Amino acid sequence: MKSKIINMADKTSDAVDRLLASAFAADPVADDGFSNRIVSKLRRRIWVNRLALPVAILVGAAFALKPAVQIVNALLPLLNAVPIEIARVPMEFLPQIQWVVLGGMAFAAGVTLVKMLEET
Amino acid sequence: MVASQDTDAFGELIRRHQSQVRNFLRRLTRDETLADDLAQDCFLHAWDKIHTYTGSGSFIGWLLRVAYTTFLQSKRKSKRYREIVEQAGHEAEQAPTAIEGDPEAELDVDTLMAALNEQERVIMIFSYACGLSHREISEATDLPAGTVKSIIHRAKEKIRTQFEIEDHQYG
Repeated sequence: MKSKIINMADKTSDAVDRLLASAFAADPVADDGFSNRIVSKLRRRIWVNRLALPVAILVGAAFALKPAVQIVNALLPLLNAVPIEIARVPMEFLPQIQWVVLGGMAFAAGVTLVKMLEET
Repeated sequence: MVASQDTDAFGELIRRHQSQVRNFLRRLTRDETLADDLAQDCFLHAWDKIHTYTGSGSFIGWLLRVAYTTFLQSKRKSKRYREIVEQAGHEAEQAPTAIEGDPEAELDVDTLMAALNEQERVIMIFSYACGLSHREISEATDLPAGTVKSIIHRAKEKIRTQFEIEDHQYG
């Protein structure tokens, strides 16, 4: 910064210019870890941003799992109204619906994690 | 390299320019702690907006623009910041505006800046403390280059008149 001020003072011969140049001349501000603190903060922020989505998905899945299973269980009796030939295949899968929901959530989290690792 | 969000390269840019940014904000706020907080915010904003730097002007010009915007935003948003900045401005206005006796008595920045309004102060800091060109100041403040030039001229005339500065002085 000093060199710029000196250059500016060289360019001009005006007394006010010279006065301002000398009044504003300042020693450089010592870094004293300032840059490292900002870089560390940036890195932390990047990781928090990257982890936010997978964590939100997992927390959401944990909260949604129980109500989802309850809804499915509540809907199960309605399937009695469906002719047995049509209902046969879904009935085989329905008891495992919670695993399907959990699997879906895990898949979404996995995809996000892979995407995150690719960006790293 | 920085545009691809490389923190190491950005760290190098911070190391290279932190002194100018912090000095600029210290001149504006006249409070070291506040200025350093703002400088930190400025570099974080710069990281987020680095893709908007096209390389057409100097990087320090662009960075000081971010610093100035950060300063203005904080002034608007934070009561604490506003109070400190207003207090600093008030103190500057109360500083003596004439030096009795020795005409070449040392005039410090605060005394000189007290003769100017806020816009003039900012532009003089850009010009004399940061060494920006008229074009760079124009980009940083969104003012036409001609207006910047005339504000600098007007501010210098104010200082010349207020402190009765002769052309042979400060040689």
